[in-house]
Amino acid sequence: MSVAAPARPEVTAVPAPVAPATPPSVVRRTVPWLRSLASVVAITMTVLFLASVITFALGAMSDSNPAAAALGETATQEDIDRLNHEYGLDRHVVVQYLSWVGNALNGDLGRSWFTTVPVTESIAAALPVDLSIAVLALTLAILIGGGAGIGAALSNGGWFDRAVTLVCSLLATLPPFVIGMALIVLFSVKLELLPAGGYVPLSEDPVQWLRFAILPGLALSLDVAASIARQLRTSLTGELRENYAVGAEMRGFGRRRVLFGHVLRNAAGPTLAVIGLAIPLIIGGAVMTEKLFGLPGVAQLALQAAERGDVPVVLGTLLTTTVIVVAASLVINVLQTALNPVARRGGGATAGVRR
Amino acid sequence: MRTLAALWRVPSARFAMIVLLAVGFLAVLGGALAPHDPLQQYTDRVLQGPSSDHLLGTDYVGRDVLSRLMEGTRLSVIGALEAVVIGGLLGVPTGLASAWLGPRLEWVTLRVSDTLVVLPFTVFAIAVAGTLGNGLQQAMIAIGILISPIFYRVTRAATLGLRKVQYVEAAELMGATEWWTLRRHIWSKVLPNVAVAAAHATGAALLVVASLAFLGLGVTPPAPTWGGMLSSDLGYLAQQPWAPVFPAALMMATVGSLNLLADAIRDATGATAAPRRRRSTPARPREEQRDVSDTRDAVGV
Repeated sequence: MSVAAPARPEVTAVPAPVAPATPPSVVRRTVPWLRSLASVVAITMTVLFLASVITFALGAMSDSNPAAAALGETATQEDIDRLNHEYGLDRHVVVQYLSWVGNALNGDLGRSWFTTVPVTESIAAALPVDLSIAVLALTLAILIGGGAGIGAALSNGGWFDRAVTLVCSLLATLPPFVIGMALIVLFSVKLELLPAGGYVPLSEDPVQWLRFAILPGLALSLDVAASIARQLRTSLTGELRENYAVGAEMRGFGRRRVLFGHVLRNAAGPTLAVIGLAIPLIIGGAVMTEKLFGLPGVAQLALQAAERGDVPVVLGTLLTTTVIVVAASLVINVLQTALNPVARRGGGATAGVRR
Repeated sequence: MRTLAALWRVPSARFAMIVLLAVGFLAVLGGALAPHDPLQQYTDRVLQGPSSDHLLGTDYVGRDVLSRLMEGTRLSVIGALEAVVIGGLLGVPTGLASAWLGPRLEWVTLRVSDTLVVLPFTVFAIAVAGTLGNGLQQAMIAIGILISPIFYRVTRAATLGLRKVQYVEAAELMGATEWWTLRRHIWSKVLPNVAVAAAHATGAALLVVASLAFLGLGVTPPAPTWGGMLSSDLGYLAQQPWAPVFPAALMMATVGSLNLLADAIRDATGATAAPRRRRSTPARPREEQRDVSDTRDAVGV
């Protein structure tokens, strides 16, 4: 290491005078970008692989079998062997894993041991419920949390700020389903404004859908809104103290103008990270609200399957939700890079066009 | 001991410790002190409000709510503690090892931790219940595994810079064994961070245990838990809209005290801010990738 330290300035010093020539600079711009892309791809692939191994291992460790699931106590050893053979469970574990993953990549997660309905079909029927509510919850969380965070930062130290801080720390001590119960009591039992349960698909009637989905969405969003508000307030107040913000204010721009025009964009990065973290919570929380509001979603599917020991369905739901979380985290990651000027400079061309 | 005394002088920490001691007292002795049998059904007194005989009223089959709350504290608290202990046992050693034993192990453990972070808690717990059986042990192991990344990240972050610190290098030059250095120099820096993380994680685990009990996972129904009581209150919100207040208030007090205590420990020991939530998947590892390539450039490869 000690030998390398003086070598470094030479390495960087040599290309510096040559930099104006186009080809090396293009290479210098794209190579780190490609390298970071490659590492994101490698990380995502590894995470997906490990998630599939963990999921499959759960199934492999299970002692339930299709005969027991379908026939219950009356299953004879012959039945068990026959059905095990039919579902390919008498093969080597590695072979089973490879065929399971291979089929999953083609959109086939096997058939339910109990109803023999393809798992993909049941999940495809249930997933829109969770996804639509999760998206609604995320939107509400960004609106509520963003509003509260910006308001708190504007009234830094004022009563609104203190109220937001208090509500955020109180919300963090409650599981989301209790918030949901409070909402049911308030809006369904006391005010009788909204239904306490039931569901109409978004594709059938968006207005009715919103009537049924707004309470679950709100229940799911408040927890996340609290973390967004807390993070946004912290990074906004930090950024407002930076030189560029103080300078803009001294040149006569109003506090609001500085906040929305200059600071918000820079404070959005850490907030996006918080949103990224919240995605597994929202997807997992959607499961809770389903039970709470009686929605026909993935959780009901998974819970029923878990009760009957219907392993393919259980594994299918876990794998699908994990893939959704990974995909959503990737989107957040891309957004973060787009917001971060240091990372964007790696892309070079887009920054030039925008100026 | 000195830290405890320092904590006691902070008003918010003192309040939190008193609440936690009370909850601990309930967890140990609550079942014995309960005025009624928590499973006894007074069928002539279903869904009653608070009275002198039943201080917090009765539930939908006429069981005494106060007794169920006192008895339920034990299972809820033990469940959460068990999950946190499992998470700590898995996360702390791997965190130390990943910062200490070099980049290859680090890459592997980071990816495992990334994977555990993206698995949604509830769906994973349902899957564990569906494949390995529905019981308290299975649920707690599942939660413990999923919260281990908190401990892993915190330990690793606290250890990361210390490998190159002068007094560690000096100790090594003077012939200290790795174990001695780890125990003497590293552990004292890591412990406060782990304590803060453990307090936060216990709060989070209490909420998760309650959520799972609400879904009917973990504790089997007749035995009372906070989450299970809330779950049974759900069906009778129209008759008893105030019923969820009692378990929810107890839970809020416990989790809130744990969070207060965590903040106080952090202030008292100067532990670096522990991440409140689990960390995101690709954001941080990528920076580290860049760090690795930077050092490689520096070496001149």
